[in-house]
Amino acid sequence: MIKLTNVSFTYTGGREDAGVRNINLTIRPGEVVLVCGESGCGKTTLTRMVNGLIPHFYEGELTGTIYVGAKDVAKSELYDLARTVGSVFQNPRSQFFNVDTTSELAFGCENLGIAEDEILTRVRKTVADLSISHLLDRSIFELSDGEKQKIACGSVSVLGPDIYVLDEPTSNLDFETIAALRRVLSFWKATGKTILVAEHRLHFMKGIADRVIFMREGEIRETHEGAEFFALPPRYFEERGLRIPSLDRLPAAETAEADLPSDPIRIEKMRVSLRGEPILNIPALEIPSGGIIAVIGANGAGKTTFARSLCGLVSGDRSVVTFRGRALNAKKRLSVCYLVMQDVNHQLFTESVLDEVLLSMSVEDETRADETLLSLDLSAFREDHPMALSGGQKQRVAIASALVSEREILVFDEPTSGLDLVHMRETARNIAALKRNGVTSFVVTHDPEFILACCTHVIRIEAGEISGNYPLDSSGVKNLTAFFRHDESMAERT
Amino acid sequence: MRSDFFASSKGSAQKIFDPRTKLLMVVTISTVVMADSGGGWMSVLCWILTFVPLALFLIERKWKAALIYFCVYWGATLMQLYLLPLTTGVVNFLLVAMSFFSVRFMPGIAMASYLVNTTTVSEFMGAMERMRVPQSLSIPLSVVFRFFPTVSEEYTAIGDAMRMRGIRFGGRKPAKMIEYRLVPLLVSCVKIGDELSAAALTRGLGAPIRRTNVCEIGIKPQDVFTMAVCAAMILLFIFEKI
Amino acid sequence: MKNERMNAKDLMTVGLFTAIIFILSMAAGMLGFIPILIPFLTVIVPLLCGIPFMLFLTKTKKFGMITIMGTLCGFLLGIMGMGVYWVTATGIIAGFCADLIFRSGNYASAKKGVLSHAVFSQWAFGSMIPIVVTRDAYFAKLINGGYGEEYANALMRYVPDWSLIPILVAGFIAGIVGALIGKAVLKKHFVRAGIA
Repeated sequence: MIKLTNVSFTYTGGREDAGVRNINLTIRPGEVVLVCGESGCGKTTLTRMVNGLIPHFYEGELTGTIYVGAKDVAKSELYDLARTVGSVFQNPRSQFFNVDTTSELAFGCENLGIAEDEILTRVRKTVADLSISHLLDRSIFELSDGEKQKIACGSVSVLGPDIYVLDEPTSNLDFETIAALRRVLSFWKATGKTILVAEHRLHFMKGIADRVIFMREGEIRETHEGAEFFALPPRYFEERGLRIPSLDRLPAAETAEADLPSDPIRIEKMRVSLRGEPILNIPALEIPSGGIIAVIGANGAGKTTFARSLCGLVSGDRSVVTFRGRALNAKKRLSVCYLVMQDVNHQLFTESVLDEVLLSMSVEDETRADETLLSLDLSAFREDHPMALSGGQKQRVAIASALVSEREILVFDEPTSGLDLVHMRETARNIAALKRNGVTSFVVTHDPEFILACCTHVIRIEAGEISGNYPLDSSGVKNLTAFFRHDESMAERT
Repeated sequence: MRSDFFASSKGSAQKIFDPRTKLLMVVTISTVVMADSGGGWMSVLCWILTFVPLALFLIERKWKAALIYFCVYWGATLMQLYLLPLTTGVVNFLLVAMSFFSVRFMPGIAMASYLVNTTTVSEFMGAMERMRVPQSLSIPLSVVFRFFPTVSEEYTAIGDAMRMRGIRFGGRKPAKMIEYRLVPLLVSCVKIGDELSAAALTRGLGAPIRRTNVCEIGIKPQDVFTMAVCAAMILLFIFEKI
Repeated sequence: MKNERMNAKDLMTVGLFTAIIFILSMAAGMLGFIPILIPFLTVIVPLLCGIPFMLFLTKTKKFGMITIMGTLCGFLLGIMGMGVYWVTATGIIAGFCADLIFRSGNYASAKKGVLSHAVFSQWAFGSMIPIVVTRDAYFAKLINGGYGEEYANALMRYVPDWSLIPILVAGFIAGIVGALIGKAVLKKHFVRAGIA
C-alpha cells in the first residue's frame, strides 16, 4: 500500500525539523505502523512523505521513490492524494479551515466536488461511526482541544481514504480523548484501513500497532512486531529516550515526602464565567506553598482558566489569593505570578535572550541578568534570538524573565505537550530547580510521567470545580495513577 | 475585531438572507446613503435605508451592535441639528468632521458588520462559487475570514503576556511597543498559517474542479424581493445623478 | 520558477498576509474615530504595514500574489462601507503596479521591494476619494436641510479640492519609510527566528 525505496530528504535552508536518509519501507494494506523516536529523528518527515506535503508543500531535496497505492507521490498533485491519504496533525487549533464543525466535516468532500447529498450521507455515517454526533453544528471556538481533534479525525474519515497518517495526534489531549482516539484507530483498523502514526506517547497504541519502527537521526534503526515491542523491558525505552509503553509501568515517584513550609496558599471566590456560563467555580482552596503543584483534569475542565485567573489575567475577576501573609487581588497577582504559556512564542518580544531578561527588570542590571542566565544554562545563547531556540530553551528564557522580576508563583500551561522523554525531563529539571529557589510552581498537565518526575502536590479540576487536592506522597501517587488509569479504562468502556 | 467575528453557532444566525443578498445590500447602502445630496424624495428613501441595519441587528438579536449603531448614527444626526449651530472655531471643526463621518459612513459600516457577523466562512465560499468567483480570489478571501478570529486570539494572548511583564503603551519605549506586539503576532500567525495550509491541502483544497457546498444557501423569496429593491435604489440613484 | 502559476499554497499565503495587513490597517483606522487624524492614517498605516508586507515579499515568487492582495484589501475595505468601487479599483491598481515592480526585480531585489510597498500602500486611497467626491452632495444636503451656510462652508474649508494630492504623496513617502522599517525588522527578527 505504501512503498518507500531509497528515500532521502533534506529541507531547504536547514529547517529545525531534520530530514531523513535511506528510508526503505513497505507497508501492507490494512497494516498499522507506529513510528517512534526522539524529537528531530525524522518521524514527522516520514509522515509528510506519505501524505505528499513533501515534496509539494515543504521544499527540499528529495531522492528515491515513494508510492502510495498506485500513485507516485512526487508526481501526483496534493488534491489527488487527498482521495487516498487522510492526515491528522498535532495541533488541534490550526487544522480547521472552517469556523463551524459541520462545514469542516464536509470540507474535504466539497473540495473534491462530491455531490451535496452524498456528502451529507457520509457526514451522518461518520459522526455515528466515531460517536461525535453531539459535536455537529458547533462553532469551533467553543470546542475543547479534545473535541477539535475528534472533529479532525472525523473530517478525514468522511473522505474515506484507504490510508490514514497521524502526526503526533495526542500531544494536546487528555487521557479520555486519547482513549477515544484509540477507539477511532481501532475502528479504522477493523475496516481494513492502512494507518501510519508518528508519536511520542506510545501506550495508547498497544494492541493496535502491528509494527513499530524506531527512528534516530533520520534513519530507520529498528523494526519490531507490535506485541513484541510493547513487551520489551523498561531499560529498552529508557535507553532510546522513549516514553513508557504502558500506564501500568508508571515509574514510582522519585520525590520524597513533601517537606514544605506549613503556611499555605489560600484561594477564595475564584469564579469565572464565559457568555453567562460558569466555567470555573472555586469557593475556597488551600494548597501548600513552596512546592510544585500539578493541575490535572479533562480537556475543557477549566484548567487553563484556572491558570489565567491565578496570574490575574481574567478581567472582572474578584478572587483573592492569600500567599505568605498577603491577600492578593487579581491586579496584584499580575506582578507576583507569572504564566509560562503553552505557546511560549507569545511571550518572547526582543531580539536577544539577554534583552529579553533585561526587559523584565525594573532597573536594568546586566550582571544580575547574566547570573540568572548562567543558573538556567542559557549563557551560551545570550545573544541569540529567543524565537530561534528550542522549545525547552524558550521555556527557560520565559522562566529567566520571571525570576528577574522576582515572581514567587510560576504557572506552566502544558509545558510538556509533544515532548519526548529527554525534553520532558529537561522541563522537569527546570521546574524542580525553581522549587529550590523558593518559587511555588503550578503545572497544568496531562502527563503522568512528568508529574511523577517532579511534582509534590496534585489538584484536580472537573467541570470547573476542584474534585481532588492531595500531596504526592505514597498514597497520593496511588491516587494519581488510579486517576489516569481509571480515566483510561472508563473511556475504554463507554 | 471582536471574537465572535464570523463565528457561527447554533441559532446565532437565522439565515434570513443569502450571502449574495447581504453583499448587495452593503453595496447599495454605502453607495446611496453616502451620495445623498438632500432634498426631494430620494432623501426620504435614504433616511428609510438607514433603519435597515438597525432592524436587521434587532432581528438577529445583536443587541449591542444595534445599540452602538443607534447611538452613533442618531447621536450624530441630533448633533448636526442642535449642537452645530451653537459652536464655532475648533469645537465646530471637530463636530463638523465627526458628524460628517458618522452620518455618511455608519450605515454602510453597520451593514458590513451585519454581513460578516451572520455569515460563516463556508457559506461565503458557497456564495462565491455560485457567483463564479475564480479560486484565485475565493481561496485567499476565505482564508482572510478564517484568520480574523485567529489573529484576534493570538493578539489577546500576546496582550496577556505583555500585561504580565508590565509592558504597556506609554511605557519606557513607545516605538518598541509596536515591535513587541507585531513580532510575536507575525511569528505565531505565520506558523499557524503554515499548519492550516498544510491541513487544508491534504484535504484537497485547490483541486481544479468546481467545489460543492453543503451550506443551505440559495435565493429565497425574500432575497428576490430585497435584490429587486436594491437594484431599484441604485437605478434611481444613477437616474438622479444624470 | 517565476513563470509558474500560483498554487493553493500561494493563495493561502496571500490570504494569511491579507488578513494581517487588513487587520493592522483597521486597528490603525480606529484612530479615524478622532476625525482630525483621518488624513494621518495614510501615513500611519503604511508605516505599520511595512513589517508584514516585507515578510510577505520573502514568500512571494509568482506574479499575481500582490495583485490579489491589493484587490482583496480594497474589496474588504469597500464592503466595510468605504465606497466599494473606488477602493476596490485603487486596490487592484495599486496591487497590480506593486506586483509589476517586484517582478521587475526578479522577486529578489530589496530596492524593488521597498518601491513595491510604497506603491502598494496606495490601496486604501480609494476610501479618501468619496470624502472629496461626495463632499459637494453633502454640501448641497446641508444647505437644503437648513443647517446653515456657515457649517457648510467650514466643511468645504476643511476638505479642499487639492487635499487628495498631499495624501497621495505622504502615503508614498510613508510607504518607503515603512518598507525600510519592515526590512530592518525582517533582518533583526524574522530571519534570525527562521520564519522568513
